[in-house]
Amino acid sequence: MRIVTAFVLAVLLSAPLGAQTNAASFDEPYPVSARLFFLATEQSFAAHTTFDAIFGKSMAPFFGGGLQVAMQNGFFIDFGISRFKQTGQRAFVNNGQTFPLGIPLTATITPIELSAGYRFGASGTSRFIPYAAAGIGRYNYREESDFAVEGDNVDAHDIGYLASGGLEIRLHRWVGIAVDAQYTHITGILGEAGISKDAGETNLGGIAGRFKLLIGRR
Amino acid sequence: MPRAHLRYFFFMLTVAAALSAVRSHGQNASAPRTFLPASILPAIDRGVVGDTSHSPGSPEAVVRESMRHSTVALDRTGVSGARYLAGRVIVKFRAGGTAASRVRAMSAVSQTASVSERPSYANFDVVRIDPAEDAEAVAAALRGQPDVEYAQAAYRVHTNFVPNDQFYKELQWNLPLINLEPAWDIQPAAGSAITVAVLDTGVAYSTQTVRVHASAFADENGTVYPALGDLTLNFVAAPDLAPAARFVSPRDFIWDDNVPLDFDGHGTHVSGTVGQATNNSQGTAGVAFNVKIMPVKVLDNAWDSIFGAPNFGTDDTVARGIRFAADNGAKIINMSLGRSGPPAPVVEDAVKYAVGKGVFIAIAAGNSFEDGNPTEVLAEIASRVAGAVSVAAVGPDKTHSHYSTTGSYIELAAPGGTDRGFGRGGYVFQQSYDFTLTDTFLLPPAQFKAPRFDVLSYIGYVGTSQASPHVAGVAAMLMQQGITDPAAIEAALERFATDLGDPGRDNTFGFGLIEARKTLRGLGLAK
Repeated sequence: MRIVTAFVLAVLLSAPLGAQTNAASFDEPYPVSARLFFLATEQSFAAHTTFDAIFGKSMAPFFGGGLQVAMQNGFFIDFGISRFKQTGQRAFVNNGQTFPLGIPLTATITPIELSAGYRFGASGTSRFIPYAAAGIGRYNYREESDFAVEGDNVDAHDIGYLASGGLEIRLHRWVGIAVDAQYTHITGILGEAGISKDAGETNLGGIAGRFKLLIGRR
Repeated sequence: MPRAHLRYFFFMLTVAAALSAVRSHGQNASAPRTFLPASILPAIDRGVVGDTSHSPGSPEAVVRESMRHSTVALDRTGVSGARYLAGRVIVKFRAGGTAASRVRAMSAVSQTASVSERPSYANFDVVRIDPAEDAEAVAAALRGQPDVEYAQAAYRVHTNFVPNDQFYKELQWNLPLINLEPAWDIQPAAGSAITVAVLDTGVAYSTQTVRVHASAFADENGTVYPALGDLTLNFVAAPDLAPAARFVSPRDFIWDDNVPLDFDGHGTHVSGTVGQATNNSQGTAGVAFNVKIMPVKVLDNAWDSIFGAPNFGTDDTVARGIRFAADNGAKIINMSLGRSGPPAPVVEDAVKYAVGKGVFIAIAAGNSFEDGNPTEVLAEIASRVAGAVSVAAVGPDKTHSHYSTTGSYIELAAPGGTDRGFGRGGYVFQQSYDFTLTDTFLLPPAQFKAPRFDVLSYIGYVGTSQASPHVAGVAAMLMQQGITDPAAIEAALERFATDLGDPGRDNTFGFGLIEARKTLRGLGLAK
């Protein structure tokens, strides 16, 4: 965590002070721009057998938002919270065949992610700004199902890692959108029990296609 | 009367009895019993009966089994010690063979061999030979013929039984032991959509008045029991198994009709564990208490023999029962029966046939641990078929029941009870016929009298026969819960079993004691 903090501070301090006076024209970069974003994600879970058994599919949406601080020199940090919540049913898997048991199960995943990255050409005027980032997250996981007794439900969290890359498109002085792909790797929650153990799947993360609506200057 | 005359008199009496028994078995074209309009008072319920006579190895149990064999004149003991029925060999000829080639195969091994009409629900033939011939030897010779896929003697199968019971909280330790109460919460329907076939001695499912003829017979010690002549017997349905509508496709392969009356009580007791009416403020509870029960009689007891039943509880009878159940809608089969001795390909074939049709099968692992611990042939088959399981027994303390056979073929354990150390609290209780009124052949000949099948009690039995229906019941609930593939049911039962004994699978408990709640609840993502 200290490494990440130091990295973020370095990025902030590296922003050229002179740029702060050059921010009045349309979509010209600000030295430091704080931008709110809203996030919609469609994630393909790495534990596809596990999710497919419970929910009948291994892709699911996350929704959330956060704050991004972007600097004229191209570096940015991104702090976001999102949430996945879905109800499926408990199941048993044998030789690749899934038998749903009709017992409702609700899983909730709440990622709290902090990443830092670089926006290529952020200091220019192009409407298209490619970017890449990497970071860390705390991933909260809850699993609740009917007929549970003490100890049956799961309330766990663990640290995971992420990497993403995509394209920001400026639509307006105050508005932009971004699409990217993000890979997350989260161990320590799946694989100890449940279908994930039987399937040998330990990664709660996966690959996500993300859409961001950015509110803020370039 | 001079002593010599007396000896002659008893000799003639014994011969007459033996002849009578022989005449009354296996030769009748039509079953020698007649059903009359039922004119029966309601069942008499005698409550809980304290009893130790149905424990494996108890003197009464030994006599019951002995009676069963001594009343069948064609019973033989094979080289392995397994009993078989003389005069027949079970044969499956290879497809593509001609009638002529089959005749050649038979005449090459026996001058008396002939094939009778193929019985129903069979993919095999029964070759008749002279009863004086060694059926095992003929079978072995037939196996050497190119047209023969398998051949075996008609080995006798038997129950894994023992009796005594009542009342859920007081006596039914066995159901909480497999964590059944929360399983009922998960599956309150308790298997209402599932039919469980109980292959056994019949079931007290129907009220009937039957006229039979009881011939004289001699036990294995030569003691002659007098003929009782024509008897009119009243059979009552077990009230705690009601309602009548839950019984489907009854079939009797001992009497070749569709009225599988229980002359023993074993099948009724086993059916109670599978699905005794529950939450009805009376008697005992069953595991999957809403299942439909298919009574399939494949086991005879002494009365069947004394009354002249045309068929016997042999491998071929069991195989036909399995096929019948699979063809008539059963999704679960319970087989609280077994034997040791040579392989039973005819049963194995039937087991595979049934599992292939989506039927899960539970088979008792046997009660002979203290009698040399022989391999139980039918249970061993289960271990090689995904979708069939062999079931060992544990007592109230989850330890190995002293009689429960062990071996590499044991797959699961369930409550079978014990008659050592727990008093009547070690027995598995269900409603069945009061054996003190049915098993009159346990009395001396002078007191021998007609049995009564209108008096029921809650009786405690001990045996792997009692363990197996626990598994069948949970399997029925699991099938209704959504696991329809027999192999997956077996995998789930084993996956969620409570490991006992050595870590992992072992030869005493298999994968462990079945755990109903965990099995029905299945798995989540992380837990």
